[in-house]
Amino acid sequence: MKRLTDERTKILFEKLAKYIGPNVQQLIDRPDGTYCFREHRDRIYYVSERILKLSECFGYKQLVCVGTCFGKFSKTNKLKFHITALYYLAPYAQYKIWVKPSYEQQFLYGNHIPKSGLGRITENAGQYQGVIVFSMSDLALGFGVLARSTTECKTADPLTTVCFHQSDIGEYIRAEDSLF
Amino acid sequence: MGRKAEYSEKQKKGPGRKARKQGPPKFPKKSFAPLDDEDKKLSHRQKQRVAKRDQKKIVQKAKLKEKRAQQPRRRKPYNSDSEPEEEEQQVEQPAESSDEEVPQLVPVQKKQKSNGYSDDNNDWLTLKSGKQQKKSVKSKEIELEEEDDEVSENEIEANSDEEAEEGDEDVNESLEEEEEEFMDDDNDAQIGKLDDLFDDDELISEPDQDQAIDSENGQESDEDDVDDDDDDDDDDDDDDDDDDGENKLPIERANKKLKKRQEKDAILSREEMQMSVDQSEVFHLPESGEDADKELSLQDVQQRIKDITQVLSDFGKFREEGRSRSEYVDQLRQDLCLYYSYNEFLMSKLMDIFKLSDLLEYLEASEIARPLTIRTNSLKTRRRDLAGALINRGVNLDPLGKWTNVGLVIFNSTVPLGATPEYLAGHYMIQGASSMLPVIALAPQEKERVLDMCSAPGGKGSHIAAVMKNTGVLFANDANRDRIKAVVANFHRLGIVNAVVSCEDATKFRNIMTGFDRVLLDAPCTGTGVVSKDPSVKTTKSEIDVQRCYNLQRKLLLTAIDCVDAKSSTGGYIVYSTCSVLPEENEWVIDYALKKRNVKLVPLGIDFGEPGFTKFRQHRYHPSLNLSKRFYPHTNNMDGFYVAKLKKFSNTIPITKEQQEADEKQLDEAIAADQPEAKTTTDKDAGGEEAIATDAATRKAKGKRAGKPTLTDVEQDLKKKKLEQSKTKYVANVFEKPIKVPKKPKVEQIVPPTQEPKENGKKKEKVQKNGHQASSSNLKPEPKPAAKLTKKLSEAKRVDLDEVPLLEGKPIKGQKQLKTKSKQLGQLKKSKKPTDKKQRFKK
Amino acid sequence: MDVVKAVLEKHQKELDKYKPITVEKHLECRIDVGTLLITDPNDLEDRQIAKNKEEYLAELTRDNTQLLVNAIWELPTERVDESIVAKLPEPTTVLPRLRKPPGVRPMTKWEKFAKEKGITKKKKDKKTYDDVLDKWVPTYGFKHAEAEKDKEWVLEVPQNADPNTDMFQKKMDLRNEKVAKNEIQRMKNIVRAKKVEMPRSGYLGPEAASSNQLLTAVTVAKASTASVGKFQNKLPKEKEARGLGVKELIPGGKRKASHISAQPEREANLELIKSVLNKKPKLNVDKAISLQKQDERLEREAEAGNKPAKKKGKGSRKAVGKKPKGHQGQRAPGKKGQAGRKRR
Repeated sequence: MKRLTDERTKILFEKLAKYIGPNVQQLIDRPDGTYCFREHRDRIYYVSERILKLSECFGYKQLVCVGTCFGKFSKTNKLKFHITALYYLAPYAQYKIWVKPSYEQQFLYGNHIPKSGLGRITENAGQYQGVIVFSMSDLALGFGVLARSTTECKTADPLTTVCFHQSDIGEYIRAEDSLF
Repeated sequence: MGRKAEYSEKQKKGPGRKARKQGPPKFPKKSFAPLDDEDKKLSHRQKQRVAKRDQKKIVQKAKLKEKRAQQPRRRKPYNSDSEPEEEEQQVEQPAESSDEEVPQLVPVQKKQKSNGYSDDNNDWLTLKSGKQQKKSVKSKEIELEEEDDEVSENEIEANSDEEAEEGDEDVNESLEEEEEEFMDDDNDAQIGKLDDLFDDDELISEPDQDQAIDSENGQESDEDDVDDDDDDDDDDDDDDDDDDGENKLPIERANKKLKKRQEKDAILSREEMQMSVDQSEVFHLPESGEDADKELSLQDVQQRIKDITQVLSDFGKFREEGRSRSEYVDQLRQDLCLYYSYNEFLMSKLMDIFKLSDLLEYLEASEIARPLTIRTNSLKTRRRDLAGALINRGVNLDPLGKWTNVGLVIFNSTVPLGATPEYLAGHYMIQGASSMLPVIALAPQEKERVLDMCSAPGGKGSHIAAVMKNTGVLFANDANRDRIKAVVANFHRLGIVNAVVSCEDATKFRNIMTGFDRVLLDAPCTGTGVVSKDPSVKTTKSEIDVQRCYNLQRKLLLTAIDCVDAKSSTGGYIVYSTCSVLPEENEWVIDYALKKRNVKLVPLGIDFGEPGFTKFRQHRYHPSLNLSKRFYPHTNNMDGFYVAKLKKFSNTIPITKEQQEADEKQLDEAIAADQPEAKTTTDKDAGGEEAIATDAATRKAKGKRAGKPTLTDVEQDLKKKKLEQSKTKYVANVFEKPIKVPKKPKVEQIVPPTQEPKENGKKKEKVQKNGHQASSSNLKPEPKPAAKLTKKLSEAKRVDLDEVPLLEGKPIKGQKQLKTKSKQLGQLKKSKKPTDKKQRFKK
Repeated sequence: MDVVKAVLEKHQKELDKYKPITVEKHLECRIDVGTLLITDPNDLEDRQIAKNKEEYLAELTRDNTQLLVNAIWELPTERVDESIVAKLPEPTTVLPRLRKPPGVRPMTKWEKFAKEKGITKKKKDKKTYDDVLDKWVPTYGFKHAEAEKDKEWVLEVPQNADPNTDMFQKKMDLRNEKVAKNEIQRMKNIVRAKKVEMPRSGYLGPEAASSNQLLTAVTVAKASTASVGKFQNKLPKEKEARGLGVKELIPGGKRKASHISAQPEREANLELIKSVLNKKPKLNVDKAISLQKQDERLEREAEAGNKPAKKKGKGSRKAVGKKPKGHQGQRAPGKKGQAGRKRR
């Protein structure tokens, strides 16, 4: 567990801001204790400092995971969020998209969302805006990036993709080996 | 030009390859002649079949000999001593019937001779004797029916009754096919009885049997039937004549006849009943090795199991003379092994554990899978909401029971439960009902520090976190790196944020961290309780596996106890659970821990389940072990499970360091000895010197290991030397202190659970007053990671070190700082750190 | 007789001038006729050496030479052109070498790789059957090239390519490139084998340098200032050179301070967040338009809310045009489905 370099911290916050906007501040400025981001084998963990301290007695190789994993830095210093970040992204989400029940399963298999699968969408979301995907019963299913802005969505034909899939909770099963 | 290529030699690839002309087909010269058996080579299967046939023949011969030995009475009249006669005997009854010498009541029997039949179903024929008797009766009736049409209705009724009976008999017989021999005996014995009962003996006497066989064999015995019927009719007529000389209407006469017949039938059926009862009552235990080579159907085995259990249930009454109980038990064990496909070892263990009646229930229950249960993740949803959501998806479910408020049992489902959006969103976890019990027993409180020692795949760990409501810290550990992934995945899915997941060897956990409020140890076990999930357990487990398991379990449990802080205000509890039913892995392990550490058993807080054993065969366990619970599939409808809850009442260790060391060594040795050459499980580790030594010893045998360069002997020696050096260093550092320490009075090993803590506390206080040195040594819980300190330092600054308050729960690595700060002890104390609170004692 | 005697005497005198051809030695000498070598293991006589060294040595040498000559004469001789010739046997003495023998040839990069991966060379047939030409064609050599020419007398220009490209030229170029690459690799192999120091970075020329090398060169150059590159501005999206051994090349790389700011973590993070959030957003035309549209819509709705609500339903609607009727007249040819609404 080591502190992120400034460069990486910045990348992380920029990425976070894409999905939850100014709510990034809430992750750091928490009333219930100090929370921080730590890096362990290129993975970013978000954890309370209290727990972090206790985890220090484990060796580098023995320690597997502390707190919540947000994502992973690639070798070229690019951050990719894992689905595990959804736990913190979903409650703070600014832009949301709801998929129809008929399309839930499709999305959970890693498909992009076409207009036909779109149930609702937050107003004013621009193109390439990071969004959290919900089912119609407000179950967070994953996150992605809008392929069309909200206004464009309205005029788009049913087969055009409106949201690119980035990550979904199906990955807990599909990608268990590669995620952790 | 280049060299000239020689294409003739090389076999061409490409299109030209097949073009080579093939020679004309060659046949062996004899091939068109009729095949000679000896010349022909039999295939493997064919050979097997031939061998089987031969064996069968031998067995049959042996059987016949036996039979003849059993029926000397019958054979004597035939006075056949010569071999050919014996051969005849083999063809049995039919042959006898065709034999001229047979005393015949019914004369015409010659036809059979022309009918060549095999002796394939000989046994079957003999068994069916009773049935055939009836058949003959039936045929008579048919005759009668032809005579008087008026009575036909009654007739038919009677007929159908009989047929039903016959059917019953049939089933019975088919079930008891393996008991042919003694059935025969019975028949013989019964002949006498029947004779007494009946005046018209022909029904049961031998010739009739023959005749019955005839009818069985075909329709050719019409004549016999006619004769038979004639006889019968004559009898009846005689009766009639005797009874009433007066004239009667034909209908009346018929009625009378019918009544008589019915009476007779009634007697017959009663007789048959009696017969069947007799058969079942007198259960004959086959001789050992008698049926070794006999082919038994599963039904036969099942029947025999039933019979033996009946015998064993009231041994005095049902036993056969001259057979001991152990013979019955052995046979029963064999049969159970065969029927449920267990291996002998496990079955005998199970027979020791369960009463006979329970055993069968248990075995039956182990065959069927337990209902699928899920646990609601109370961090994300409520049980009612989840149930509603799942019902909407077409799942049929119910709350699991009163003892849990998160469990749901699934009856059936139209969707895969492991892939619903609710599952993926972490609203529930698929988890056996039994694996919720340890957590309920553990009852973790909020803001505690809890350790789950062997956590994969994280079901129980996540349950703990859910109970703690994501507060405090949960340490989930598992030694297997592959399985730890599942823990991480499940924790993330279920939204657990207060967990530290590690991949340590659990037996060394005390060197990493201590001072937990609660520890859950779901120890790796043989899995004899979850046979329904993994049937391979039934056959694969052996004594050595069990031994390996319980040695490891003991070590783990001791470590778990050492990790707990007895002074924790809320906790100090250890829950030990296994999914095994063997007492070796359960009560024995707890008993061992009770002796070695200051712990006592406390009630689980679960009001069902069987109490743990306090005695098992020759073992006598601590009487408080009845506070632990066992759960069985047949009584609780959950996997076989064992849960025990321990409370640690003192951080001291009742045994001396030397003893402790010896114990450790012993366990290590045992584990190391149990390790097979090719070890599959990674979570076992014999940390001691022995393991390394054996490793070094086996290294050569193993040869080259993947991924590691082979070392030359010199290098190996060097390495070994280094290892040894480091080991000696380690040993010196760890165990140096206790040598100097004056031996303290040994704490009673078995202690009354209530009084002990106070007593101990007092003692400790006393000791503390006595002297600083002694107290520190007393309180020193375990080989602390003194290894971290250099030897020199530990020697030079020993007094200082002893004075240093041990920071329990503080990362052990922090003790590195301790090394540097040991001189400035005062400073450390002045600065009010949060860790100060956790100092074990203050001056 | 006198004459004879005289002759004999004369001969004897002549013989006396020469030494005898037999030589007595205490220890036998080792003779290797193949190399015309004789080694004398006998000790030198000290007294003789002290007395008359040169003479003694000359004597000794003569004796030994005599022995060697004797040995030569023992060989089978033959006469060739008036001279007697003997064929020397194979030498038995192993002579020391002037230079060290050449070692094992160091492996090329490929060979090393192949050995690691266990790749073995698959022997190709000398000739392969060519389906197109319907004959056996050598795998390599000028005949192969000829055959290739025969086969590819015409080449397809890919759809996405410029139609005027010379595909033959392109193919030739490709081949040349391959050859050149191979040559470079061969050179590199030689360099590697000789263990010559080669510059790891720096400008190697446009042909040789890879993008990584260029990047490294740039990074090194930037850091090569008096202040080890501290005040050098970064270009947008500029990458740092990475890879094995790169860090060592960059001056002051090791001395560089931690990448983590010294501030307490929380404050540092909050500051970073602020800077991230306050970044001036790019002018997003689409978003602006959509916002504008939304405003307008809201306005309109507000206006509509003020107005008395329109009566909805059949009555209010004025008949505009004809009522559509189904299945009458011609349908629109392009359209599918029913013409008009069905009324029931």
